[in-house]
Amino acid sequence: MAISESSAQRYRLQDPDVRLMLEVRDDNAAAFDELMMRYQSRLVTVLEHLTGRRDQAEDLAQEVFMRVYRARKRYVVGAKFSTWLYTIANHVASNALRSRSRRPEVNLVPRPNDSTGVGALDRMALAASGAMPARQLDKAELREVVREALSGLNERQRMAVLLNKFEGMCYADIAESMEMSPQAVKSLLSRARVNLKEILSPYLEDGTRPP
Amino acid sequence: MTEPESIPTDSVSEELSAYLDGELDADGVRRVEQRLARDADYQLELRRLERAWGLLDGLPRATVDESFTQSTIEMVAVAASEEADAALAELPRKRRRQRWLGALGAVAAVLVGFVIGTQIWPDPNEQLLRDLPVVENFELYYQADDIEFLRMLEEADLFADGDNRDGN
Repeated sequence: MAISESSAQRYRLQDPDVRLMLEVRDDNAAAFDELMMRYQSRLVTVLEHLTGRRDQAEDLAQEVFMRVYRARKRYVVGAKFSTWLYTIANHVASNALRSRSRRPEVNLVPRPNDSTGVGALDRMALAASGAMPARQLDKAELREVVREALSGLNERQRMAVLLNKFEGMCYADIAESMEMSPQAVKSLLSRARVNLKEILSPYLEDGTRPP
Repeated sequence: MTEPESIPTDSVSEELSAYLDGELDADGVRRVEQRLARDADYQLELRRLERAWGLLDGLPRATVDESFTQSTIEMVAVAASEEADAALAELPRKRRRQRWLGALGAVAAVLVGFVIGTQIWPDPNEQLLRDLPVVENFELYYQADDIEFLRMLEEADLFADGDNRDGN
């Protein structure tokens, strides 16, 4: 990520995580701990939804942090820290998914028992059940359907969706993390949205679960 | 529910998707909003995309426990210690390499010094070697007493080797 000195300076000023990473580069262990605390849950969330497995997500997150540590001496400010981190995460996850696809025991739909997010699904369940008095949508079932819909996207769409939805990244940052153009990200996210809509609409409208 | 007949083209989806993500410029936003105001199918498509997307908000967020943090820190500590060991192991090799480089540098410096020295201070023996024929015949030259006479003798080839004289 080669950028001008003024851009690098801007990232240093605006992104506290970039400043922490520069301290990590100077072998400040406390700075590394701080970065890890800030990102570990977020990273595991993205990787869990990407791989569909919590245990693998944790292993991959640790691999990402190890790579960050090992790369510290070569770190140069070229983007927001989160963009750089998710570039590494994207590589690690892609490699893992590629090698897993060679050993077919894949179940991209995660276990339903460790769910915590409820707000939007509660609202959707209530709204949908109001529209369909004959059928009360079960929240857990709805959550499961959404997970299935997400896992129905291809890997790149899923990654773009997760970075946009969970990390709040703009197209330019997603493009940098996924090493593609912002226009390609725009198309990718648009197709992902359409796919999600097509998978979820039948369920929301008449309770038909996706195949 | 009415199906939006002509709506889901790629460009429309991209436009609506970028609109929902706040990625359109001011012109794009105005264009989308003008169409939303007059096109019910376009409006419906936007609502469907928005609704499906909104469901993702309800997906669970992971919270890692202390053991995850601890084991990651331990892994990094092991990596740091391996790095330090490797750097330590590298030291004697580095010193040996530095000694060799030093020796090579010294030899190179001597050679360069020698070449420069011979350029600045020519070898006095070279002059002696050049003058050797004169020294050998010094007695004869001494008796001649006149340089012009000696030149005449030189032109007559009287001081040349026997072979030269006989040959040509």
